[in-house]
Amino acid sequence: MKTDNFLSITRESVAYFILIASFALLGFRLVQMQIIEHNAYDEKAANNAIKGIEQIPLRGVFYDRNMNVLVSNIPAYTVRITPSQYDTTLNKLLETVLDVEPGYINKVLSGNKTFSKFVPIRIKRGIDFNAVSWLEENSSNLPGVDLIVEMQRGYPAGIRGSHMFGYTKEVSPALLEKDKDYYKPGDLIGYSGIEKAYEKILRGKKGYTYILVDSRRKEIGRFKNGTEDVASVKGSDLVLGIDSDVQRIAEAELVGKNGSAVAIVPKTGEILAYASAPDFDLSAFSYSTSKDYLQKLYVDPEKPFFNRVNSSPKPPGSTFKVMEAIAALDMGVIDTNYIIVCRGGQVFGGRFFKCDASHGPLNVVHAIEHSCDVFFYNLIYKIGMNKWDEYAKRFGFGEDTHIDIGEETPGFIPTEAGYEKIYGENWPRSIMASLGIGQGEVNVTPIQLAQYVALLANDGVTYTPHVVKGYLTNDISRKFVPFSYKEINVGISKKIFAIAKEGMFLVVNGSGTAAASRSADVQIAGKTGTAQNPHGKDHALFIGYAPANNPQIAVAVVIENVGFGATWAAPIAKKMIEAYLLKDKLKQLENISEKKISNNYTGAAVAH
Amino acid sequence: MRIDYKLNDKFDMGLAIPAFLLFCIGLAAIYSSTLHNPHAAGNFNKQLFFGMVSVILFFVIYSLPTNIFKTIAVPTYLFSLLFLVVVLVIGKRVSGAKAWLGMGGFGFQPSELAKLGTVLVLAAFLSRKNAVVDSFKDILFAVSLGIIPIFLVLAEPDMGTTFVFVGLLIIMLFWKGISLFGMFVVLSPAVLAVSSLFGIYYFISGLALVVFCLFLFRKDIFFSASIFAINLAVGFFTNYVLKALKEHQQTRIKSFINPLADPLGAGYNAIQAKVAIGSGGLWGKGFLAGSQTQLQFIPEQWTDFIYCVIGEEFGFIGTIITLGLFLYMFIRVLKLASSAKDEFLSLVLIGILSIYFIHLLVNVGMVVGIVPVIGIPLPFVSYGGSSLLASMIMLGIAANVYRTRKNYT
Repeated sequence: MKTDNFLSITRESVAYFILIASFALLGFRLVQMQIIEHNAYDEKAANNAIKGIEQIPLRGVFYDRNMNVLVSNIPAYTVRITPSQYDTTLNKLLETVLDVEPGYINKVLSGNKTFSKFVPIRIKRGIDFNAVSWLEENSSNLPGVDLIVEMQRGYPAGIRGSHMFGYTKEVSPALLEKDKDYYKPGDLIGYSGIEKAYEKILRGKKGYTYILVDSRRKEIGRFKNGTEDVASVKGSDLVLGIDSDVQRIAEAELVGKNGSAVAIVPKTGEILAYASAPDFDLSAFSYSTSKDYLQKLYVDPEKPFFNRVNSSPKPPGSTFKVMEAIAALDMGVIDTNYIIVCRGGQVFGGRFFKCDASHGPLNVVHAIEHSCDVFFYNLIYKIGMNKWDEYAKRFGFGEDTHIDIGEETPGFIPTEAGYEKIYGENWPRSIMASLGIGQGEVNVTPIQLAQYVALLANDGVTYTPHVVKGYLTNDISRKFVPFSYKEINVGISKKIFAIAKEGMFLVVNGSGTAAASRSADVQIAGKTGTAQNPHGKDHALFIGYAPANNPQIAVAVVIENVGFGATWAAPIAKKMIEAYLLKDKLKQLENISEKKISNNYTGAAVAH
Repeated sequence: MRIDYKLNDKFDMGLAIPAFLLFCIGLAAIYSSTLHNPHAAGNFNKQLFFGMVSVILFFVIYSLPTNIFKTIAVPTYLFSLLFLVVVLVIGKRVSGAKAWLGMGGFGFQPSELAKLGTVLVLAAFLSRKNAVVDSFKDILFAVSLGIIPIFLVLAEPDMGTTFVFVGLLIIMLFWKGISLFGMFVVLSPAVLAVSSLFGIYYFISGLALVVFCLFLFRKDIFFSASIFAINLAVGFFTNYVLKALKEHQQTRIKSFINPLADPLGAGYNAIQAKVAIGSGGLWGKGFLAGSQTQLQFIPEQWTDFIYCVIGEEFGFIGTIITLGLFLYMFIRVLKLASSAKDEFLSLVLIGILSIYFIHLLVNVGMVVGIVPVIGIPLPFVSYGGSSLLASMIMLGIAANVYRTRKNYT
C-alpha cells in the first residue's frame, strides 16, 4: 500500500465508490419512503393534523299509535374530567358535590386508563341543578373539569313502559369489542326493550367535523373549510302500536301486583299495551343511575327487571279450554250436540278429578261458559295427546312468538313422546285430565296468551305480535314506513271459531264465570283461568276481546299469587278494553269537565 | 488534465451554481417552515443577509493567494481551539449544548471554525516533507490533532460535530495513504465506541473482532496488546462519556436504537420527520401546503430538519434534485482533489469534502431514519449564519484552488 506517490488510483476509486454508494443508499431510501410507502406515511400525516370530532346524532323518539310522544330527548349536563389537567386532590370535594360514594372518581378514571389522558372522560351524567351551578361558579378552581350538555331520554307521557321501552347505557367493553367501527367508549347504546331491539334505527349515524390541529393539538381551523365534514343523521322516530290510555290503565292496575297485562289488535298483531309488574323507573336510568336505586332493584325479591310478559311461563288454566274446544270441533270428534253430564267430578285412572260445581248436562258452548272441568277432562281423551299437542302448537304455544322486543321463553307443551321417555309406554293417562283444564306441566307466557286471544278474536288469523309499527322518515314529508310482520294462520274455519266464541261471549254476558266484569257500554267476550300454584295462592288469568261481534282489541292478563281469574284478572281487562273502545266517550267526559273549568274561569273574570 | 481557458477557466460554475441553487432551495424551505411561527419570523431575512455576507466572504477567500492557506493553518487551528475553550466558559446554551458565542445580535459557533482549522492543520501535518503516515508516531500525532477539538466539542456537548471531526480525520488519513493496518488502528476504537452504545454484548463482540483482526495482521505481540488495550479503554471511556452526557442526548441515542419505544418522547422527532418526508410522495404537497411543516409537528424545522420541508412540500422530485446538486458538487471537489499535484491542497480539498459529505450523510440519513437523530445542519440549506458562512468559506477555498490549479496541478 505504501507508496511515494501519495495518491494511488485505488484510493481515488474507493472515494468515488463511497460517495456514489452513499448517495445511492439515500436515494433508495427516499424511493422507498416517498414512492413505495407513500400511502402509509400520508395516512399518518393526516392522522397527525386532522382531528375528527364526533357529532352524536339525536336518538329517535317513540310515538304511540296516536302520535303522542312517549319517549323523547331532553338536554342534561354531564361532568367530564380531562386527566392530564386534573388534580386528584379535588376528588373528595367533587364526590361530595356530585353525590357519589368516596373513591368513585378514581374508579371511573382508572377504568378509562387505556385512553389518552388528553381525552375528557365522562364522570357523571344528568347532574342536578345545584351541582351544575356550583361547578360553574367554581370552574376556575377546577382545572380539567368541564360540563357539557348531552341528550338524555325523557318520558313525557307519564308512561313507565320499563320493560317495553328499555333503557340506554354507556356501551360496555364487551359490546364495544363487537362493534368497534361505530361505538366509542362513553357512547350510549340500547340495553333492553325497544332501545335494544331497534338500536340501529334509533341511533342514527354519527357525523364528523374535521379540524386541523397543530403539534400541540391546538385547533388551527376547519379542514378544507368543512367540505369533508360528514353531517350526522338523526335516528329514525319509531311509531308504536301502543295506545297511551290503555297502557296507562294497565300500568296503574298492576301497581302492587306481580303480573302482566297485554292488549293487542287482533287483525294486525299490534300491541296496544305491554305491562309487566313490578317495574322500575326508566327516568332514573336516563340520568346517572343512583347506586342506591340500582341496588334496591337488584336485591328486590320480586325481581323488577324481570320481563314477565315475555319470560314468565305459567299454566294457562281454563283459558286453554277454548283451544281444546276448537281442536275437538275441528277434528270432528264432537259437535254442538255432543253432551256431557257433569256431576261435580269424575274418576280417571283411579283418581277423582273434581269440578267447581255440578253443572249437569252441557254442550261445548256452555262448557266454555261455565268452564266445566268434567267436560274438558273427557274432551282431551277424545282429542288424544298427540292432537292436543299439535293444536296447542298451532296456536303458538310451546315456541317463541318472535315478538320484536326482548328475550322470550317458549313455555312448555308436554308431548306423548316426552311422557313415554319419563314414565315408559304405560305412562299414567290420568295426567291428561289435568292437562285438559290447563294445569300440570303445561306452561305458557303472557305474550303467547295475547297472541292466542288475538287468534281467537280474529278467527285464527293474525300477525306476529309487535310493539313497533314502523318508523317515520327523517325528511320533511315525515312519511310513515311500516315494518312487515309474519302472518299467522291456524287454518281452522270461521264456523268452528264462531261456536267457541259464542261460549266466550256467554262467559261475560251470560251466566258465565266473568259475568261480574260485564261492561255497560261494550260487549266483551273472554275466558277466565285460574292456574294452580303449588307455592302459594293461584295465578289469576283472563283472556278477552271486544266488541264481541267485531273485535278491535284483545287482552291477556295474568296476575300471580292472588286467586280467581274472574276476581283479579277480568276487571283489569275490562278497564283496558273500555279505555280503548270508549275513547270518544272518555273524551266527551273530559271535554265537559274542561269546559266547566274554563267556564268557571271566564265567570270569575267577568265577575271582576 | 485538459484546461478550458474560456468561461470556466478561472471560476468554477460547477461549484458555484449548485451551491447557489441549494441556498435558494433552503431559503424557500426556511420561508415555508417559519411562516406560521412567530418566534422564527425573521429567519428568512436573516438567512438572506447571511447569504449576502457569505458571498462577499466567498469572493475574498477566492481572491486570496493560494499559498496563504498553508501559512494560516496552524494559527487558525490554535485560534479555533482557543474559541472552543472560551465557549465552554462563557458560551450561550442553545438546546442543551454550550456551543454559541454571542456577538452582538448574532450567535457564532466556534466549532464551525474549528472544523476548517483542523482540516488545515491536518493537511499541513500530513503533507510535510518527511511524513511517514504509517508510522505509529505520525498516526498518534495526527489523531491527537483531531482528538483535542473532539474533546472540546464533546464537552459542549455536541454529538453531531464530534462525528464530523472523527470522520474528517479518518478520511484525510485514508487520502494520505494510510495502510490497511494503520486504518485498522485508527478505525477500530471508533467502531468499538459505537458498538458499546448498543450494549455490553455488542461491545464484547467488537472486542472479539479486534482480536481476530490483530491475529490476521500478525504484528508483534507487544504492539498487538497495546492496540487491544487502547480499544478496551475506548470502550469503557465511551460508556463513561455516555453517562456524562445530558439526559436528552442519552435518550436520543437510545431512541435511535429503538425509535418506537417512546413515540411522544425522544423518538418523536425521528418519527415525525419520516412522516413528513414519506407523506410528500412523488410531487410533494406543494409550497406552503405541507401539513407536517405548516402545523409545526417537527420543532425548529428550519435548522436540522430542513430536508423534511423539502421532502414534504416538493416531494421526491425535490429531495432527489437536492441530493443531485450535492453529488455534482462533491464530484467536482473530489476531481479537483484528485488532480491537485500539491499534497497540502489535495488534502485540504478532501477535508472540506469530508466535512460537507458527513454533514449531508448524517443530516439526510437522520431524517430518513438510517442515522440517529443528531443535530447537524445541512450545508448551504439549513438556516444558520455560522454554518452558511463556514460552508461558503470552504467553497471559497475550493474555488481558489480551482482558480490557481495550473500552478499546482
